[in-house]
Amino acid sequence: MADQPVQNPPPHMQRIVPSLAYDDAPAAIEFLCRAFGFEESMRMPMPDGQIGHAELVLHGNTLMLASSFREAVGIGGPSELPFLHSSVSVYVDDVDAHYARAAAEGATILEPLTDQFWGDRTYRAEDPEGQRWMFQQHIRDVSPDEMRAAIESME
Amino acid sequence: MVENPPDGNQHVIPYLTYADAPAAVEFLCSAFGFESGLQMPMGEGVLGHAELRMGGHVLMLSSAFPEMGHASPQDLTAVHAQVMVYVDDVDAHHAQAAAAGATITQEPEDQFYGDRTYRAVDPEGHHWTFAQHVRDVPDEELEAATAEMGG
Repeated sequence: MADQPVQNPPPHMQRIVPSLAYDDAPAAIEFLCRAFGFEESMRMPMPDGQIGHAELVLHGNTLMLASSFREAVGIGGPSELPFLHSSVSVYVDDVDAHYARAAAEGATILEPLTDQFWGDRTYRAEDPEGQRWMFQQHIRDVSPDEMRAAIESME
Repeated sequence: MVENPPDGNQHVIPYLTYADAPAAVEFLCSAFGFESGLQMPMGEGVLGHAELRMGGHVLMLSSAFPEMGHASPQDLTAVHAQVMVYVDDVDAHHAQAAAAGATITQEPEDQFYGDRTYRAVDPEGHHWTFAQHVRDVPDEELEAATAEMGG
């Protein structure tokens, strides 16, 4: 048993995994499942009700989250920050349906559904604690020439 | 039919902001072993979008655009997210990162859940955990370990 090679990354884990902090992690888990379609796959609650670590899965990929631990590790939800230093970008199967569900469940829409020049149809949203998300569906392959021309026309 | 996600990307992707994005690309490649991919420069020293790859998966980043509400962690009082990356040899990765100037905040150690991990902070203050899954832990053992921590 011990000699068998293990799978690295482990199953259901992509190589590069975002991990978010929330002041109210249980509420965040509930919202991310209800509004964005994640499924909870594991949760490590602590005696005080905080979440030490939780994992949500969408399309076989994992998102990690935990309660804010500002003093212990300098990581906390974005509520007290004037700007954000990162966001999560998620490819979904049907971005229009995803948008309708998220908007109906109370996500703040920052940018409506838009066909982008790089071939993705996207929208941007904020969850109740202010973590930012881009949801997208790749709907069209764009040739390098077309991409270059589009970028040059922006400058 | 187009492929969704494109380019073999994973579905769930971290997107990071840097004040000096070209320098960040260079650091993340030399210290953390990413490979540089697509870049959309927008004038001198500014990247509208950049992609770094590792093991077929992608990390996205861009320069800071305050009008979009983005800033580098170096201009903030705390971080609100971090990135975890599974690498093939976490000890070799740690040695390379430390030699290249990453700030190591936790030395490599075996975790009860079967990963060997270390933690680092990059020059602009983004937090990273690098991991190698070295052991499958039976559910009962995980539950016992978690209960012990909670108890």
